[in-house]
Formats: sequence, C-alpha cells, structure tokens
Amino acid sequence: MKKLMVFLFSLMLLFTIGCGKEGEMIKSGDTVKIAFMGPMTGDAANYGKLMSQAVKIAVDEFNATGGVNGFKVQLIIEDDEGKVEKGDPAIEKLAGVDKVFGLVGAVFSSVSLQVAPKAEAAKIVMISPSSTHKDLPSKGAFIFRDVMSDALQAVVFGKYLATVEKIKNVAILYVKNEYSQGLAKDFKTQFEKEGGKVIAEETALQGDKDFKTQLTKIKGTNPEALYIPNYVAEIAQILEQAKQLGLKVKIYSADGFSNPQIFDLAGDLANGVIFTQAAQQPASKTRTDFEAKYQSRWSDKPDAFSLNAYDGARIILNAIKAVAQKSGDSLLINRDKMREIVAKTKDFDGASGKITFATDRDLISNIGIYTVEKKKYKQIKMFQLDGEKLIEIK
Amino acid sequence: MNLFNIPSNELLQHLINGLTLGAIYSLIALGYTMVYGILKFINFAHGEILMIGTYAGYYLFNILCNPADGGIRVMLAFILSMIFAMFVSAFFGVTIERIAYRPLRKAPRLAPLLSAIGVSIILMNLAALFFGTKSKKFDYPFNNSTIMIGGASITPNQIMILIVGLILMISLKLFIDKSRLGKAMRATSQNQSVASLMGINVNFIISLTFAIGSALAAVAGILIAMEFKVYPTIGQMAGLKAFIAAVVGGIGNISGAMLGGIVLGLLETFGVVILGIPQGLKDTIAFSVLIIILLVKPSGILIKNIKEKV
Repeated sequence: MKKLMVFLFSLMLLFTIGCGKEGEMIKSGDTVKIAFMGPMTGDAANYGKLMSQAVKIAVDEFNATGGVNGFKVQLIIEDDEGKVEKGDPAIEKLAGVDKVFGLVGAVFSSVSLQVAPKAEAAKIVMISPSSTHKDLPSKGAFIFRDVMSDALQAVVFGKYLATVEKIKNVAILYVKNEYSQGLAKDFKTQFEKEGGKVIAEETALQGDKDFKTQLTKIKGTNPEALYIPNYVAEIAQILEQAKQLGLKVKIYSADGFSNPQIFDLAGDLANGVIFTQAAQQPASKTRTDFEAKYQSRWSDKPDAFSLNAYDGARIILNAIKAVAQKSGDSLLINRDKMREIVAKTKDFDGASGKITFATDRDLISNIGIYTVEKKKYKQIKMFQLDGEKLIEIK
Repeated sequence: MNLFNIPSNELLQHLINGLTLGAIYSLIALGYTMVYGILKFINFAHGEILMIGTYAGYYLFNILCNPADGGIRVMLAFILSMIFAMFVSAFFGVTIERIAYRPLRKAPRLAPLLSAIGVSIILMNLAALFFGTKSKKFDYPFNNSTIMIGGASITPNQIMILIVGLILMISLKLFIDKSRLGKAMRATSQNQSVASLMGINVNFIISLTFAIGSALAAVAGILIAMEFKVYPTIGQMAGLKAFIAAVVGGIGNISGAMLGGIVLGLLETFGVVILGIPQGLKDTIAFSVLIIILLVKPSGILIKNIKEKV
C-alpha cells in the first residue's frame, strides 16, 4: 500500500513538472494570452478604461502584423476595482486559468504590490504603467514598471538642492499620505547625506486647510527654503498662508505641483516655485501616431499613463515574438528567456519616450527641474541619476 | 524669551492665528446654540447650510464683478453677495426646519437628530454633484497684503473676521436681550406652550431662530472661504468644531458659544505649540475637550445665565 502511494505521488509530481512545461506551450488553434489589470468599475474606472484602450491598440497592431508565427495574441482584461482584495482573485485567474505570459498593470501601487509576488511565482512578466511606489520592482525578477518611481525625484532633488542650488538648510511641511510622506522621507535622507540640514519637519493631515501653526513654527527656525511635496489643494493653502505670515523663502515641491489647477487656486503665488517631474521627452513620431490612432478609435485623449500602458504592452509582445519557437504544431514560449529579453530593454522607442530598464527593473528616467513663470510651467534643467552621481543633460 | 521658551513675536503670531480661528468657530456656534436653546435639538445640517450660503455668495460675487479689478465696485459686489448669501442660507434653514424637523417636533428626540444627519448628507452630495468637488478660490474684495504688528503678521481679512464676528455677536446679544422679538424667543425657549398662551406665534419664532442662525452661518462661511477656499465639505469639520465650541460654552447659551469658540481656537493653536501635541493630532484636541467638558461640567464653562437661554 505504502509503495503504491509513493508511486502515485511520484506520478503526481511528474505531472506537475509537466504542467510547468504545459504553461509555456500553446497548442495549434489556441491564442497567446496577455492581460491588463486595473480598475474598470468604481471611482477610479476612468484610469483603467483609458489604459486598457491603449493596450487593446497595441495588441491589435501586433496581430495585424501577423502575430507570433501565425498565432494570434488575445487580451484578457481583469477588473480589480482599484482594490487590493479584488487583485488577488484576478491574478489567480490570470495565472491558473488563462496562463498569461505578460501583464500590463496593476494601476494602483497598493494592488500592484499585492499581486506582484503571485505574478513572480507564475513567471508572468508584469509591467505596471502607473504604480509609482518605490518598492514595487523589488518584489521579484519578473516585476517591471515604465513609470517614474517616487523615490527617484526625491533623491535627485535632494542632491540638486544641496549640490547645485547650494541650499544649506530647509524646512519640510508634508501631508500624511503615502505620496507626500514617502517623498519627504527620501528627500530628507538624501539632502542630509549631501551635507544639508533639515531644520524643521512639520506634518499635516490630508484635507487640512489651516497650516498657520506649522508655518509660524517653521518661520521661527529661519530656514533658507521650504520643501512641500504635496498635492495642489494643500500647496495652494500653504503658499497663501506662508505669504500672509511673511515667510519669505524659496519654495520647492514635487510632481504633485504639476496639476494646472494650482493656477486657479494660488494665482500669482505659484510663480517662482521650483519642482521636479519626469523630464519632457521630445515629441516623437511613435507618440503622435499613437495619439492619432487612439483619438480616432476611442474618441478620447490618452493620458500619460496610457502612453506607458501602450509601451508596456509592446515591450511584452516584442519579447514574446523574440523567444517564441515552433515545435511541431505547437508554439513554445520560454518564460525565463522572455523575462531576460524584457530586462534588456534599452532605448525602446515608446510613445512615452525612450524606455530603458535599470538592473533593478525600474524605469531609468530623466528628471526635469521645473519652475513657473507667469502661470506657465517651464523646464529649466534636466538630470539623470547614474548610480550616486547626478549628471546634467543639456 | 518667556515662560514657554518661545520668542514673543512668535507667541503673538500664534495668538492672532488662534483668535481668528476662534472667532469663526464662535460665529458658527451661535447657530447651533440658538436652535438648541429653543428646540433642545442639535441641527447637524447647520454646516451644510453654511456651505450652501457660501456657494451662493461665491457665484453672485463672480457674476457681479471681476475680483481682479479691485476698487469700490468689487467691494460693493462683495457686500451684496454677502447679503444674498445670508438670505439664501436663511431660506434654506427655514425650509429645512419646515420640511425635515417640524413634522418631527413631537417625535422622540432621536428622530429629528437622524433627520438632520440625513439632510446634511443629502445637501453635501448634491453640492458635490452640482458644484463639483474641486476647491474654488473665493477672492478677497480688498488688497489682502500682510500688516506687521510687533513682529507678528495679520491680514486685513483676519482683522475683518475679528471685527465682523464681534459686531454680529454683540448685535445678536442686544437683539435677544432688548428687543420684543428677542423677548419672545427667550419665552419660547423656556416654555413653548405657555409662550403660545401669551400670544407668541411659536412657529414663527422658531423659523426666525433658524433664519438668524443660518444667516450668521453664511457670513462665517464666506469669511472661511476667503481663507480656506470653497468646497462641498467645507461645513463638515467647521460645523463639528463649532458644535464642540457651543457645548464648551454651555449649549443653548449665546455668550457661552462666543466664549467657547474663542477658547477652542486658542486651545487648538496653543495645544500644538506649547503642549507639543503632534500636529496630526490637532483635531483630537477639540474632541478631547468635548469629552472632558461633558464629563466634568456638562453645562459648559458659563453657567450663570441659565435663564437667558435662547
């Protein structure tokens, strides 16, 4: 009896190993599947809608040029409603039932962080078009993103202020949410590493309108500059109240400042603020072509994340094409080799610009230093981070 | 340097910040306290009445003039908008009382309270639907550049908040203490049936109370909006804080509401500065004060004029 059990278990084990192979084999008549995951219903549905439309264009273009050795690619769209708990069943289905090779998504950082370990275990190449949380790519060798990490701009800005603008001490006023808190923390670490000093660190709650107490305290410490990596609603209040309190210092911020609503809320006070954002990419043909196609097919304008989603899908599709091999009637796609191809992506001509993945699978991005002149954004400098060194790109 | 080891100009600055915050709380608290005094019920839709009035003022102000022009025309437009906002708020206050509270006047006390919370949620969501959830800037009708006093700064709007607050509070006090209608209000608050036997139209007095409280809320709303922008949930936190202010001063007591607002504004500011309470816990100060007052002195810090409840 015992021997029989051992035999049966060995058989099952063999079967599971066989399954691994089966997950890479596409039988004749089947399709090669890739997926998009994001909020398709609920409050944030518009994000998912815009991005999934971009991925659809990429897949259709790919199929129109012949697909992979005669095999068509099929797009599976999974709705996570932007919620962590919906991400779990979605990734289980994609990994277990659909056996997808690539995943564009998820949209929100919280969901991406949740599904990444499962994508990694199932060897699905995952490229998030919009999750900026700095920890995401470290979740596994199959996890990439083609959007700028939050940490990058804070690090670049910390170096920039200390070494280029030669600021000695700053005060920070940030709101307690993931975005602002993360930026403030990373900025502080970097700025102090470069010899600068953070002489006041004040916090507020999301939705606060009155920052006078914090600003009065900050004024008392007499800083050279004030760093406010928040969203525009808070920034507008801070700018106005800083002026009321007679706090006359240089104001620095992050890409939350890049929402033009700031000009309605803060008016002329926005002038002269310096902030970081992904550097402007020169207009490319890929981009104008994509935008025209998107507009005519969906009568909608693609947002920045849609450009990333389109590029991510194309990187995945190209990798599938590069590693796919015919074996008899079937198609064999080696997942590990596919991952290697994606990891080697360098100067890929994307709609969002040139895409290169760093060895940590994060997007190598140039950071622009922007300012506001007469209520208009203007890029004044551009930097690249090469290891520890800050290199200006002219 | 002084007792708290804070430079005196900074201390003065905190005092100004706290006083202006407190004056706004006081103005809103008056509405709560007046209604409570008469109906023994807390109008939780008060913050939303404030919000409606503020939007009304905002739209009229921007239709009448271009605030960027400055000058006397803008100032006139502002005063007109303020009066319009008061009327709109008063209208809403009276209508809400007529529709949502009056039918429940004889019902158990929990019923009108729930009705008020319902009205509050409806109004807030309608505002989000019609006006959008984005903040809108309410421009100053005058040049709001800072004035320096002894190393601390104060803006014309802050001075206006203090002066307008003071004028309105004093006139309300005089109205209630000296006028015939005020006397009728006091009578109604003490005993509705006896008041009506004396020939007082109780329903009219209650409507009047709602109208006055709501109009004051509109003024407070516009004063807040210039400092903090207009948005659909503007009445929520301000309303909650003002409610606490009203309780601190002894709910139902006009002078108490004024004092309670100022005390709360100062506590919030100095709690952070002197006691070193983390900024993130700022709102906790107000709620802790509420709990302490309810435990220790539920009648509020002002108890003497129990008779002049309104």
